[in-house]
Amino acid sequence: MRRFVPFLAVAVTLFCMAGQSVAGDTIKVGFVDTYTGPATTFTNDVLDGFKMAAEKINAKGGVLGKKITWVTRDDKFKPDIGLTMAKELILKENVDLLVGTINSATALAVSDLAKKEKIPFFVTFSKSDKITGEKGHRYVFGMNENTEMAGRATAKALSKKKYVKYWIAGDDYEYGHAIANGVFNHLKTLNPKVQLLGQSWWKVGESDFTPYITQILAAKPDFVIVATGGGGMVNFQKAAQSTGFNRKVPFYQHTAIELSTLMPQGKNAPEGVYGTANYLFYYPNTKENKAFVEEFRKAYNRYPKSGALYGYMTAQFIAESFRKAGKIDREKFIDAMEGMKLASPVGGMEMRSCDHQVTLPMFFGVTKKSAQHDFLIAGEVVSVPGKEYMPSCAETTKGRAK
Amino acid sequence: MESVSNLFSTGTLSQILVGLSRTTILFIVSSGMSLILGVLRIPNVAHGSLYMIGAFAAWSVIQLLGGGLFAFLAAMIVAPLIVAAVGFVLERGFFSYLYEREHLMLLLLTFSFALILGDLVKIVWGPEYRSVTVPAFFQGSAEIFGLPLPWYNLFLLVVGPCIAAFLWLVINKTDLGKMARAAAVDGEMVGAVGINVGWIFAFTFVLGSFLAGLGGALIAPMVNISLGMDHSLIMETFLIVIIGGLGNMWGALLGSLIFGLTQSLGILVWPQFGIAFPYLAVVAVLVVRPRGLLSSTW
Repeated sequence: MRRFVPFLAVAVTLFCMAGQSVAGDTIKVGFVDTYTGPATTFTNDVLDGFKMAAEKINAKGGVLGKKITWVTRDDKFKPDIGLTMAKELILKENVDLLVGTINSATALAVSDLAKKEKIPFFVTFSKSDKITGEKGHRYVFGMNENTEMAGRATAKALSKKKYVKYWIAGDDYEYGHAIANGVFNHLKTLNPKVQLLGQSWWKVGESDFTPYITQILAAKPDFVIVATGGGGMVNFQKAAQSTGFNRKVPFYQHTAIELSTLMPQGKNAPEGVYGTANYLFYYPNTKENKAFVEEFRKAYNRYPKSGALYGYMTAQFIAESFRKAGKIDREKFIDAMEGMKLASPVGGMEMRSCDHQVTLPMFFGVTKKSAQHDFLIAGEVVSVPGKEYMPSCAETTKGRAK
Repeated sequence: MESVSNLFSTGTLSQILVGLSRTTILFIVSSGMSLILGVLRIPNVAHGSLYMIGAFAAWSVIQLLGGGLFAFLAAMIVAPLIVAAVGFVLERGFFSYLYEREHLMLLLLTFSFALILGDLVKIVWGPEYRSVTVPAFFQGSAEIFGLPLPWYNLFLLVVGPCIAAFLWLVINKTDLGKMARAAAVDGEMVGAVGINVGWIFAFTFVLGSFLAGLGGALIAPMVNISLGMDHSLIMETFLIVIIGGLGNMWGALLGSLIFGLTQSLGILVWPQFGIAFPYLAVVAVLVVRPRGLLSSTW
């Protein structure tokens, strides 16, 4: 019996601690994302955007009298760690909701867990179209664009141009191929005259693009679709600048016009590069966007990037859905979330009820020098509204039935 | 195959030159690794991390001096020296205590340093991408049959042979170099004639580290300086050292040439699978000469 006493004491304490977090007057959001390594350029913005919105909501009394709190876990860009962390967040931290992650494989694994545990999961940077496409379900929500959406939006913008002979080049991994196929296949449907002259694929992390560039130039295409991601974005742009590639052949990269790509290069980034992005801090030049930028800069002393918008809107959608549901109930929360329309810094957003994918505008533009900034920005920006480039509900349903 | 005839087009010459400039970086880094491998018998997995530190240090020096050609040239000297200092601390502080143990221990230690140095870089420089601009002097490109060859790549083509000549002089004409070569063959004997082998090892490790740092500094203007750039390089470096002959400096040069040229010419033949060519070449070499092209010191 003596030996049993300390054990009992520990058990009672643990029980009390667990009880506390369940009965706490908070809405607890668990973040599982990559907080080490190069991906932090993107993930810190998501978290900071979320914090900014949540702190504002809490200052106004929270949601249904409860404050929004958050805990974070680092998945180190590894799906197995991400899944373990997500489980821990559910079991030990008793989170009400899950948010994350930048790694698509992790997102798909956590999404599977969310489905089993019936915990809503908000995907805030993964680009795989499977997440809300064929692998989508009731408990997963897509808060950003995916490769399919980026491909369609770009194809739409490119179909208005007169280029015929295309070349595809990119990082040889799933994201690279998904972006390239997304753009070219849709372009081919919109403008059957286009033809694919050839392709080059290099390994992820390639440091010298010059041999690839000279080869592409020798083949003389009209336009090049460059499917790079992460660090490859800047590497390719630097090679383009030093070979004069951008002045000889126009090319496109998804996120080429984003701050994360252009800012590190300063004034030496190549001009005339076509790109797409979900967010630009200087466009649209509206009151709402300016207010968002000002608030973010005041809080974190830097310009917000796409991630900040995703994080910020995730917090807004969560708060509004709980308010609409009227109580802290996950199923009612999901019902409330479906079809919800909210204003955002870049215009109206809608959470589609058919596939839980948020509808948001995509900006297509071309890099140019700017008098106000010591880095390049996007010019000739065209806003492609979400409705015009998202796969239809019928297509998603068909994809999921497969 | 898209077209082997591309090999006989006007693009071939510029592709060869581009391949040779790639060879320069590979040679500088792999010769450092080969040196350490030959003399100290350490398969240094942390060599890539030293290269990464070289790139980040070059960025810092250029930031500190405010850019321009002078800052760039200063960075090309200071950054490798910083890396050499890191190498000195590693060798004297850790490796020197383990030479009596088996190779596996040394390998594990270098592996742990690859992880530690990677995290240190993150603590010191942060996770953000860093970028160094090519100094105005080297900006733009020359035209060869209408195809661009960046001036910076031409600069690398000049640097490569200079480094090779410098290494040849150090190894063959200086006493230290001669002692290092002797120690590579029989360390015990060198010790027996009254030479302090420990300091020869330190010198070799520092020189190898300097070369890794120089490679990193030289590549800095061409790439996005980021965490993880060590991983992509270390594999290639190991392959080069293996096909050249373990510990043989000229083998490292030969291996780098094979790697650089098969890649750039492979892209010309079949751009979609350009990445495969250097590895196919490695397989071909290992089938014919499993111990490497030139004689190994092992």
